[in-house]
Amino acid sequence: MIGEQAPAVGGPRDLDALLYPPEPLPYRPGRVQEYTLAAVDQEIEIAPGVFFPAWTYNGTVPGPVIRATEGDLLRVHLINGGSHPHTIHFHGIHPANMDGVFEIVQPGGQFTYEFEARPAGMQLYHCHATPLKKHIHKGLYGAFIIDPKKPRPPAQELVMVMNGYDTDGDGSNNFYTVNGRSFYYAKYPITVKRSRLVRVYLANLTEFDLLNSLHLHGEFFRHQPTGTGEHWEYSDTVVQCQGQRGVIEIEFANTGHFMFHAHQSEFAELGWMGFFNVID
Amino acid sequence: MVVRADTAPGGARWRLWALGPLLLLIVVVVAFSAWGDSVTDLLGRNPPPADQVDVRRVEFKPGEIRIKVTNPQRDDLTVASVTVDDAIVPFTLDGPATLGRLRSSTIVVPYDWVEDEPIAVGVTSSTGIETVEQIPAAVGTPGPSIGRATGYAAIGFLVGIVPVALGLLWLPSLRRAAPRWLAAFMALTAGLLTFLAVEALSEALQLQSALPAGLGGAGIVLLGVATSWLTLTAISHTLSRRGKSGGGALGGLALATLVAIGIGLHNFGEGLAIGTSFALSELALGSFLIVGFMIHNITEGLGIAAPIADGAKTSVARLATLTLVAGGPAILGAWLGGFITSDVLAVVFFAAAAGAAFEVVTEVVRYVARKAPGGITSPHVLGGFLAGIAVMYITGLVAA
Repeated sequence: MIGEQAPAVGGPRDLDALLYPPEPLPYRPGRVQEYTLAAVDQEIEIAPGVFFPAWTYNGTVPGPVIRATEGDLLRVHLINGGSHPHTIHFHGIHPANMDGVFEIVQPGGQFTYEFEARPAGMQLYHCHATPLKKHIHKGLYGAFIIDPKKPRPPAQELVMVMNGYDTDGDGSNNFYTVNGRSFYYAKYPITVKRSRLVRVYLANLTEFDLLNSLHLHGEFFRHQPTGTGEHWEYSDTVVQCQGQRGVIEIEFANTGHFMFHAHQSEFAELGWMGFFNVID
Repeated sequence: MVVRADTAPGGARWRLWALGPLLLLIVVVVAFSAWGDSVTDLLGRNPPPADQVDVRRVEFKPGEIRIKVTNPQRDDLTVASVTVDDAIVPFTLDGPATLGRLRSSTIVVPYDWVEDEPIAVGVTSSTGIETVEQIPAAVGTPGPSIGRATGYAAIGFLVGIVPVALGLLWLPSLRRAAPRWLAAFMALTAGLLTFLAVEALSEALQLQSALPAGLGGAGIVLLGVATSWLTLTAISHTLSRRGKSGGGALGGLALATLVAIGIGLHNFGEGLAIGTSFALSELALGSFLIVGFMIHNITEGLGIAAPIADGAKTSVARLATLTLVAGGPAILGAWLGGFITSDVLAVVFFAAAAGAAFEVVTEVVRYVARKAPGGITSPHVLGGFLAGIAVMYITGLVAA
């Protein structure tokens, strides 16, 4: 299934804000970066004609990509416009009172998280109000990139957050996606250039299933777990538990359509499948 | 209000007045539809609709699966996504995507299914509720053809006409039987008809409980039973008025005709059940099952023969007609079940069969009460009645 045959919802540029992260900024001591996240109850269309009553940050699942450079002071304002208490729990190093576990923000309330962005890597954020399983699977999560002080090599950068939706409440997912819509990148393949570095910030926020994965066809990539440290793995498949993430770097040797999908066949056939369109 | 004595009873004014409550009811209904929500809001919020579709029929064609779905609930339901074995598949709809109450659509899925293997089809509504139908084994559903029509006819012939005809061959022996033994055989007929009636009623109630709630529940069974009972009562009155018995109990050929009609309705249901089960791959039509039905049904021929055993000679043409009336409907039922499949029709026919059989039992009992030496409580009559039930039960075990 590719192009118009793929049962995906929406137009070709709908998910650009989630797929393409903001530009990285060079390290500058003392910089303050501010983000505002509004928790809102929002019904979203996840597959053609299938609506999911989601809890979102800023109206999308996953929420917006937050990006800072190591050493930046981050101020993230949470405004709870939803109907349930929420928080934001960031992965990374920060004070205990900024952890999004005890500072429960009631509907109508707000809270500002303030901490230094570290360590560099692919982090993530999600709501940590209880019941945790419900707050995560309803859609309150997103990617959080911390760029190292010494910048990574220039690349075409992409963000992929893997998730699932249990639409009938039976404790197992009916749809799987990257960036929130099933088969979206099968309908609209991601165009990249041959021989040019492609960097994918990948995270797994799938609820209910133990693991999720990404497998790339026709090419190998380097994978840096959590986007930290010197350890890189050379493979065409990476497996992540919920909350795990990493940085993938690909240089395509060939042009054409290359499929990528979860190598859990079930997830792939329930929406977690897409294509790169490699051009010269 | 005082009704004046000079108002003629049944006058046009008062007939018009009778429309009053109906008109007022319409006004109240319209008003409630417009503002009723504010009344229910006082009580609390309505739960969301279940949004589970009713998967009526899954057909396997070469490279294609056809899923017939019905909306069983009050609220509209939209078919949004379809899965086969837990994988989202492209599909087209033969009918609307949004189904009103009790409306149906057929989902057509291009799919390379595997013969004889279990398969699950899932239909997801716009609210994300998935209804999964497990099929124990995917078996190709052939389209209507002369071959299949002949096949169903042959099965109907074997389970309907053959046993009834064979049973009727007992007629010469019955004619030579002593009156109390003839009464015993008539009581046996009543017993077997009672058995058939209970069996049909149970089948109707069982099928009815599987129908969507919107179709009226047990009421539809009662309607079927009552309609056929009253129809047969009317027929028997007409027959007895025409016959020489002059308004009394029915006897002879007329009674045999009624018995044949009752049995025919039952055999129609039986043919319907066999045809439907086979078409939906729920039943393996082994020779064992066919033989079982034949043994089960041979008693029915005996039941038709008993009322004519003490009368004048009956022509072969008459006997053939009786056989056709009692056994032929099995063929019609098998056709209908094999090619159309409607659970509602099945409920109605089984209910009608039950009503007819019960009615014929009362006719037979009246006849026995009049004719039996020693009356209705003689050992031959009681024994015959019980034997009728027992024979049906035991031969029924063969067909199970």
